[in-house]
Amino acid sequence: MIATIVHTDELLQTIAASLIAGIGVTFLFSVGIWGAGQFTELGRNERPLAATAAAVVGVLALLCVAGAVITGIVVMTHK
Amino acid sequence: MNSDIILILVIATALAFDFTNGFHDTANVVATSISTGAARPQVAIGFASLLNFVGAFISISVAATVAKDVVDAEVITPTIVFAGLIGAIAWNLVTWYFGLPSSSSHALIGGVVGSAVAAVGFDAVIAEGVVGKVLIPAVVAPILAFLVAGIAIGISYRVVGKQRPGIVSRGYRYGQIVSGGLLALAHGTNDAQKTMGIITLALIANGTLGAESDPPFWVIASSATAIALGTYSGGWRIIKTTGTRIIKMDAAQGFSAQGAGAAVILASTHFGFPLSTTHVINGGVMGSGAAKRLSAVRWGVAGNIMVAWLLTLPAAAAIGALTYGVTRIFGTGALGPMLVTLMALSLVVTAFARRAKGGAPVEATGT
Repeated sequence: MIATIVHTDELLQTIAASLIAGIGVTFLFSVGIWGAGQFTELGRNERPLAATAAAVVGVLALLCVAGAVITGIVVMTHK
Repeated sequence: MNSDIILILVIATALAFDFTNGFHDTANVVATSISTGAARPQVAIGFASLLNFVGAFISISVAATVAKDVVDAEVITPTIVFAGLIGAIAWNLVTWYFGLPSSSSHALIGGVVGSAVAAVGFDAVIAEGVVGKVLIPAVVAPILAFLVAGIAIGISYRVVGKQRPGIVSRGYRYGQIVSGGLLALAHGTNDAQKTMGIITLALIANGTLGAESDPPFWVIASSATAIALGTYSGGWRIIKTTGTRIIKMDAAQGFSAQGAGAAVILASTHFGFPLSTTHVINGGVMGSGAAKRLSAVRWGVAGNIMVAWLLTLPAAAAIGALTYGVTRIFGTGALGPMLVTLMALSLVVTAFARRAKGGAPVEATGT
């Protein structure tokens, strides 16, 4: 009875989706900024290989952010 | 004929409500971007109103909840919906005038529930829907936004902590264009749908639509337009509230607060939970502040939100019930709603005129 009123499943899914999207996207975006920062710093220190690796990690993280945002909007429009 | 006049009054009132919703929510949506310097006010407001408009089209789950899961559409009449709307608007006006915290979303649900109880009795209320889809999410969502923003900013500081401040600050400011846009989209989709739901409920009550109907396109488009115009027109008076009154924030905090707010509102909207978007956004702002320094958060604002939680639903319900009683004094026709509309309009004009003279404090109310 209580479970029916509370809509437990939907509420738990909302909590899970919010935690994953809110924390995940912020984490990935921060990795993107970290990549940009490291690329600049390591480039200045003449470590091109490490700088490139950091840039690749950063770009991949930002692509994941874009993917997560697009996925979220697509999910919203398909119900 | 009478019911058509009442229906027109309901639609006009609902769209006016939607406009005011956008008007005083502009601050909540854009203040974080403006306070961190991520966007100029004109740009942020224009961008937010455009995305509010777009957001209104991406889902109808919340509209379905408002139309079908709060009160029994089979026993509802357009007059009941009208009285509920007036109850919500009157409560918003009273709280705005006296500087009390409020939630337009809760006021709307409360007003409709109150007028339905006054007209039909408690049988008209779908307790499962009100408790499960409105009350519990209303409590859970701001706390969830607080936690998500708090954890997110903690992780962000760990990841970028050793980077140069310039690049970090610039990066998160760019990020806020996306997070602020998502927040505006989320706001548009949840808040505009409440108006769509109310108009749909009135159309069902009037027999214009079937009991299981979704909002027609013109309802979606007019609700989207009203909230977008409201967002574009308003908010300058209370633009400082969310971004600077609760906490002084940096760009990373702004990003995580907006991201948390958008994630919670969009996820809740997907499952049809009508939320107070202001409470969620404020929850995110406070979470991102508390994670850095508990004393940085002005907890009085959190206290105001708690008061709004407790007060808005019963107060709006009482005014909704009273409004229904007043309309019935004049019979079941359109005369009662027309007179109540005139009284409501004069109340609005009086309140604005007295406020213009600086007669009472002003506080942001939220949705």
